[in-house]
Amino acid sequence: MQQKTQPAPAPPPEFQEGGIARMDAAALIGILTDAGSPEFQKAKACQRIGELGAKEAVPALASLLGNERLGTYARYGLEPIADPTADEALRAPLPKLKGNLLIGVINSIGKRRDAQAGPALAKMIYGADPYVARAAAAALGNIGGVSAIEDLQAALAKTQGMTRMAVADAGLLCAERLLAEGERDRALALYASLNAAGMPEPARLAAMSGIIREETSIGRPR
Amino acid sequence: MTTRRQILKTALAPIVARSVVLGQRAGAVAPSDKIVFGGIGIGARGEHDLGKLLNFSQARFVAVCDVRNERREAVKSMVDQKYGNHDCQMYDDHYALLARPDIDAVLIATGDRWHTPLAILAAQHGKDVYCEKPCSMSIEESRALADAFRRYNRIYQAGCQRRNGANFQLCKDLLKSGALGKLQTLYANVGPSVNWPPLPSRDWLAAEAPPPREVLDWDRWLGPAPWRPYNSEYVRGGWRNYYDFHGGGILEWGSHTVDLCQWAAELDDTQPVEYQPVGANTGPYQVLCKYANGVNLVMRDDGWDGSLKTGSCSFRIEGDQGWVETGDATRIACSANIKPLLRPTESASLALVNHVEDLLRSIKTRQLPRASAAAAANSHIVCHAAFIAFQRGKKLTWDPSKREFTNDDIANRMRSRALREPWRV
Repeated sequence: MQQKTQPAPAPPPEFQEGGIARMDAAALIGILTDAGSPEFQKAKACQRIGELGAKEAVPALASLLGNERLGTYARYGLEPIADPTADEALRAPLPKLKGNLLIGVINSIGKRRDAQAGPALAKMIYGADPYVARAAAAALGNIGGVSAIEDLQAALAKTQGMTRMAVADAGLLCAERLLAEGERDRALALYASLNAAGMPEPARLAAMSGIIREETSIGRPR
Repeated sequence: MTTRRQILKTALAPIVARSVVLGQRAGAVAPSDKIVFGGIGIGARGEHDLGKLLNFSQARFVAVCDVRNERREAVKSMVDQKYGNHDCQMYDDHYALLARPDIDAVLIATGDRWHTPLAILAAQHGKDVYCEKPCSMSIEESRALADAFRRYNRIYQAGCQRRNGANFQLCKDLLKSGALGKLQTLYANVGPSVNWPPLPSRDWLAAEAPPPREVLDWDRWLGPAPWRPYNSEYVRGGWRNYYDFHGGGILEWGSHTVDLCQWAAELDDTQPVEYQPVGANTGPYQVLCKYANGVNLVMRDDGWDGSLKTGSCSFRIEGDQGWVETGDATRIACSANIKPLLRPTESASLALVNHVEDLLRSIKTRQLPRASAAAAANSHIVCHAAFIAFQRGKKLTWDPSKREFTNDDIANRMRSRALREPWRV
């Protein structure tokens, strides 16, 4: 338990947020669309746009999704925007991006639970990049719903190792959501498939735990 | 014969776990009965945690993962010296450590940005977890943390050691006994604003040339935090001054003291419904909160040791018939009518040892520790909500069941932060 004794060093003027924190959406978009704007200002503008939830900034944010340094900031801006154009902006680069930038976009799609991305994500589970495959499985788990569950159950039989672990984890999330939605029988069936031999041990035990929790709960049907 | 490892791994462990005697810090413990630990991100704070853990014969520490070579080497040296061998393995990739089937539990003492993603990954790998506080970077992460540990039926203990401190326990007992009367107000000291302001900086430090990856992996050090240029100040501990890495004084100290308030008042499963910030970033400040049952929670800058000199991480309980206040100095300050009820308590520093005992007991018995994932998630949500209220500079109202603010859209958008690719929760 210690007090801080050294004051923080002063940031250089070019890395000070200053007035960006108080700018309106139009001014922030101006920063993003000005090719001469420094990287730092664009980063801060993205974060501020995310707080404002400015849907008019979607195109400007989308243009940064392929930027290795600013891609996270662009998603910082896009993720909280409650407008379908943000979903479209995240879906659009799926065929073009690769590696971590693609994973970032997939993660944001999962966070926003964009069901329209489901078919594209389901295909990615079988792609060459195992990290992308795991991200796609996780996103499908977040999205949930009949189609995602079918895709995940199919993938359980066709994947292995860490990817199967991610698919199983996504399945557990779907089972919980089914329970929350009152779909008890379907949830238990999904748990049962995750509790089968050959499933990753942590997920199998989690599924067993889910079954026990549900079957022993006071609120279960009698 | 059922081995301890099989018990730890089974979801039925709460039913079949045998009783164990804890508190034995020396003496023979069969190798098969030891809880095997690995550690991730063991800096100065983590070394403190590890030092306590190594004194327990029931625990065996076998591996360290760090993005800094000097930390890997230092921890290996510390562990090997303790055990008199050369067995502690070093990793720079946490996946390699988590993949080891012999490791039961993981000690996580990275920077805050890594806490939730790593803890969830550990649960997904079937590991139990001790994690330093603050446990999360956002309300969304707090929820994900509790959900994951419930889902995987794993033990999670937050670094909220004071839940296992005798002086803090006595204050809780006095409230529960009715000696303080009806609970009115809880006070949580959130540290002195002079060096722990509620609002961390959103600036960047000047770019420096990063060291070679084998010395420090800057990409992994940043982890889930948004990219920024390397500066050695961050790595030396200065990261705590910056929003992308930290939640300011409210998260740094509220994760202890707000957590104590929730625990003492048996409000571990909820959060206040109102958050009113008072004061400025550069001076003494408060966040005035109110629970749905009318109880007040005041987060306040009361100085490092508290104005009553009860020590750091102090908290206070006020009922309509009396009050108590205590902190890391062990001493309990109280109203005159409560003094006859006080009894000597062990040093507050023993909370750290008790906390390790609580963790080991939980891992063996599969019973929740005092600082469980669910309890930590709720107390952290309180801190994040207060932090957001301070940033917004206005009174916010909160629905604990929906976990959303009811009067501010911007605040709701601040419940989550985008994580740098490829990390997620």
